[in-house]
Parts: sequence; structure tokens; C-alpha cells
Amino acid sequence: MSIAVELPSLGESVFEGTVSRWLVGEGEWVEVDQPIVEVTTDKVDAEIPAPSAGVIESIHAAEGDVVEVGAVLARIDPDGKPAANASSEPARVPAPPTAPEAAAPPVGPASAHSLDGPAATPVARRVAENAAIDLREVQGTGSAGRVTKDDVLRHQSGAAEMRAPIPVQPVQAAPTTPVAAAPRKPARPAPTFGYELQPGDRVIPMTPMRRIISDHMVYSKRTSPHVGTVAEVDLSQIVRLRNKHKRAFQDSYGIGLTFLPFIVHAVVRALREFPALNASVTNDAIIEKQDIHIGVATETEKGLVVPVVRNADRLSLAGTAMAIDDLATRARTKKLSADDLKGGTFTISNPGRQGNLYGFAIINQPQVGILRMGEIAKRAVVRSLDDEDAIVIRTMMYMALSYDHRAVDGAPANGFLFRIRELLEAGEFDL
Amino acid sequence: MTAPLGSMEVDWLGSVRYADALELQSQAVADRIAGNRGDRILLVEHPAVITLGRSSDPANMRVTPDELLAAGIDVYEIARGGDVTYHAPGQLVGYPILDLDALGRRDVHAHLRRIEAGLMDALEVLGVPSRRVEGRTGVFVDLARSGWGAGPDRKIASIGVGVRKWVTLHGFALNVDLDLAGFDAIVPCGLGDVEMTSVARERAPDRKAPCVGAAWAEEPSSEEVREIVGQALVGRLARGTTLEG
Repeated sequence: MSIAVELPSLGESVFEGTVSRWLVGEGEWVEVDQPIVEVTTDKVDAEIPAPSAGVIESIHAAEGDVVEVGAVLARIDPDGKPAANASSEPARVPAPPTAPEAAAPPVGPASAHSLDGPAATPVARRVAENAAIDLREVQGTGSAGRVTKDDVLRHQSGAAEMRAPIPVQPVQAAPTTPVAAAPRKPARPAPTFGYELQPGDRVIPMTPMRRIISDHMVYSKRTSPHVGTVAEVDLSQIVRLRNKHKRAFQDSYGIGLTFLPFIVHAVVRALREFPALNASVTNDAIIEKQDIHIGVATETEKGLVVPVVRNADRLSLAGTAMAIDDLATRARTKKLSADDLKGGTFTISNPGRQGNLYGFAIINQPQVGILRMGEIAKRAVVRSLDDEDAIVIRTMMYMALSYDHRAVDGAPANGFLFRIRELLEAGEFDL
Repeated sequence: MTAPLGSMEVDWLGSVRYADALELQSQAVADRIAGNRGDRILLVEHPAVITLGRSSDPANMRVTPDELLAAGIDVYEIARGGDVTYHAPGQLVGYPILDLDALGRRDVHAHLRRIEAGLMDALEVLGVPSRRVEGRTGVFVDLARSGWGAGPDRKIASIGVGVRKWVTLHGFALNVDLDLAGFDAIVPCGLGDVEMTSVARERAPDRKAPCVGAAWAEEPSSEEVREIVGQALVGRLARGTTLEG
């Protein structure tokens, strides 16, 4: 059974490519991943690697042909024997695919720039020359044992024996092939971070999205010294407002009235009074921003996204509610654009799960603060009624603020948090 | 080997002969494929050389290889997209070595657009308004905003890339301050109706662009240009950056 080599998709807007050069011929043996053909599209030249080791059984597109994505370029027979007359360029074969074979010879007699000599990078050669080191004495650890600059420096500091040469794996190809003795690039080592896989473990490769989230979280924790502070807020006034306007709101705007727009509104008003929280830190300066764009952390199927309510300070409560609803809907239906996710100046996280008393979120860089809402629940609290202390039942929520201590000190951070609470408890919102 | 979001290594390697740069790139690509290094951008300058991409048309050479050699200009045929181009001192050449697959960007044309966007960002800072020309990869002076005139399109940066296993090589050449007569030997990129220009030429006192925001009033040093271009490219190519806006 032969294996088809198809022109892979090279991008959304790429539907076809031009075969610019065949690197192998029919009947020739190829290793898996060895580049076999170059395809050009606009200003891009892509090397198409062999999907399997084997013999090139047939070639289906000539140089200069325009082929569509998915079209068969060649067929490889994994069990085939190389033709006797194939491999017209045996010199190319022992080189690993990453060797500078793409450095096609200069046109004409310009070969003054000889590419041969000791197997060393140009930088390594220069360093060795300056230090009067004989490259032949240096143990190369680069690809195909090439001497790199680091090797020369290591050799110079007498530490050449500190690092063992990278082991060269023998090729598993059939011994009848002419390349059986060719050295192979060492496989990419899988990082284990000290964990040994156990039977039954499931390895889930990170999606690009997961990787971005992961990078961002590590980056943020490393960049900003996070400090957390918590306030308890009585949402009874908001509950009252909400109950009073819920139906009319639904009728007028077609969406439900949740707690979140009230929180966003209160945060925005507090940010105006505490601009230190609406800021970014650069190398040696703190930038307080004029605009207020509120990121609303939203959980989606694919992971966490933080769409941004732009110029949240210019929106009415209803406008805020609609903006949040629109972003949340588009986040769920994967209709968010890159612009929707850009430029937030402060973030609010609303995990909204039962039993989530409070917790500290990681700052969304390059911002300096993030507010995380806890569970909204009825609790027994003490209030003074007619100078008498009494235990009453109120709708309460904990709000946790994480702030960047590089930019913000405790007093303004707590002042900011207290102000949010004050605004929410006063319940003065226009509806 | 993943860099923090929005950051990437940029290495200025100085003046490097074209053949050596090819080898450096091969090594860099091999390192990236093997996972030994993260994404990075190599910045270099080349002694005078003409390179022919895979789509080069011999008709776009205006002189013979022998004549070029006599003039001390080397000629190389290389595995990148694009037609013929010319490199010389005073031109900033950048080779982004990125793993598009690891970045979740398996789109070679989007990569071209990102390089263009980065160069346009840098040129804006340098006070040279620029734009794309539909169907012509590269960066062109924005004639409408440049303040000096209509006429043929003026190209300021050329772009051509290669990919091996989704790792990119080759990249861009931004004309900073070089003798543009060198381009006379070729039809740059096979575009007969295009004039080549440079940052220095666009910034010349008699052709000063109308005040461009934070544009550099002083003549930027080549080091500053490298800094600006490097940062702008990182801003468009690094993990977590966007093409839009």
C-alpha cells in the first residue's frame, strides 16, 4: 500500500501552490520527515516533508505546476526497494534534513564563499579563530555534531567534558536502503518535569489556547507581586432594585438583569476616584490610563477568555448590561474578534458557582488589579436598628481584589475596594 | 521553550555574509525544530548580494551574473518565496525563526501579513507612513500621507519567507539608508512599475512627511532603528500578539 503525499493546507487564504522544485526523484528512498518537494505560494516557499519513510513510487506534479490544497503530489511505498539507478545525488543523503542543503550553490563562479571546512557554525568559527582554538579539538553538540559557539566557549573554559555528546540514534530503516547508516536527528526530548508517567495516566496535549493561558498566568505571577484583600458587601439594595426593575428591563432590552452590570458600574465609578488601579507598569513608570475598559472573565468550552467592555464609564447601567450580554453570547458562540479581547484596563472575574466563598484571581497583564466576585448568598449579619443591635438576614457577597504591589499600596487598594462596597450598598443606580 | 507572552528574543548579529547567514538560519531552524531554542528574530546586514527566490524570472535580472561578480556582488539562488532581491549595507535584514505550529498559526500568508504589520508599525514610529499594496507582498510608502507626491508606488521593504515543518526562515529586508542604485541591477521582486526607496530618502529634509505623531524628529541612529524595528516585529510576531489593530 502506498501513501499519498498531499499538499497540506498552508493557511486560510491559501488554496493552491506552485511546485517549485523536487528534492527527490522517483525510485528514491526517503526518510520520514525528509523534505521531498518545495512548494511556493505568494512569497512563501514551503518544504513538504515525507509523511512516511519509503520509496518514492510516483510523482504527480511537475515543477511549475499549480496544485490545489489536498492534491496528491507523490506516492510513497513504505515497503518499496529503491531503484538501482535512483539516488543520483548520494552526497545529499547522509546529511540530516536540517543540514544547509538549502544553501544552493551560488550561481556562476562565486564560490569564493565556500560553505565547507570544519563542521562549525560561522560564529563558532569566528570565536575559535579569535581565541586561537583548533576547531578539530572541540566536541560539537549542534545538529549533526556541528561545533557551535557555546561548544567553543565551553572548550575554552576547559569544561568540554562536562557535556556528553548528543547520542546518535541508528535509523530503523530496512538495511537494504542506501541511507541505513545515515545518522538521525535526535528526537525532541519530552519534558516530564520530574513526573514519571504511570500506567493508566492520560496525556492531554495543550491546545494553543491552553498554552496561551498557561504562559500568561506564569508570566503574570512572575511579573507582579500579587496582594489580596477581601471585602464583604451587602447587596440587599441591589436585590431590591433588581426585583423592582427585572420585568421592565427584560421587556425593554430583551435580556435579564443580573448582578454583574451593577458590579461593573460600581467598579468603574471607583476607578475614576482611584486611578492608581486603572494603570499599567512599564520599566520605570506607572501609566494611569484615561480610558476605562473592563475585562469580564468568561468561561467558555475552550477555556477562559476575557472580552472587554469598552469605555465602560460612558455606558448606562442598561448599556453595560447589554454589552456584557453581547460579549458573553459571542464568547459562547465563538464569535469574539481579536478586538473584543484587547485593551482591558481592569478585570472582573465572576466564577459564579455555588460554594465559591471567595478566592484571589491572577492579574490580567498588563493591568494592576482584578476583582473576583464570590458567591452571592443570604447570611445572618448584625445591623443596628433604632440603636439596637439585631441579627438580620441580608444578601451578601465577598469581593476579593488582587493588586500589583509594584504600583499600588495597601491604603489606596483598600480605599478602592471599600468605595466599591459603599456604592453597591448605597444602591444608587439609574435604571 | 516558550517565551513569556508578548516577548521574543531578538539577536543583532552585525554584518554577516549571505552564505554564512544561510547557515546560521539553517542552524536556528534546526534548533527551533528540536525545541532547543524558542522563537526569535535574527537581525543582520549583508555585504552587497543578489538573491533569487524560487519564483525568480531570469528576465528580472538586468545584468549578467558575470557583470555582478565583476562589481563585487554575489548571487545566490535560495529556497524562499519571492523573486529577485538585492541586499547591501544600510539595509536591515530580519529573519524571524518562529514555530507557527506551536503558536497555533498554521497560516503562512498570515505570517507575511504579520511581518508587514510589524514593519508598518516601525515605519510609523520612524515617521515614514506606509501601507500594503493589495496583491503585492511587502511594505510600500503611503503616498497619500507621505506629503511628497504621487507617482509610482515606492517600496521600502521586501518580504519573502520559507517554512520547514512550520518553522519559518528568511523574512524581510527594510531599506534604511543604502545606495538605491544597487537595485538598478535588478527588477526588484519582479515589479517593473515600482520604485525602491529607503527610510533615509523618505525622511530627507525636502521630503519630510507631514508631522507624524511621535515620529522621530532627530535622525535615528542605526542602533535606534534596529531597536524600533525589533520591538515592532516582536509586537506582531510574539506569542499572544494580534495582527489586527
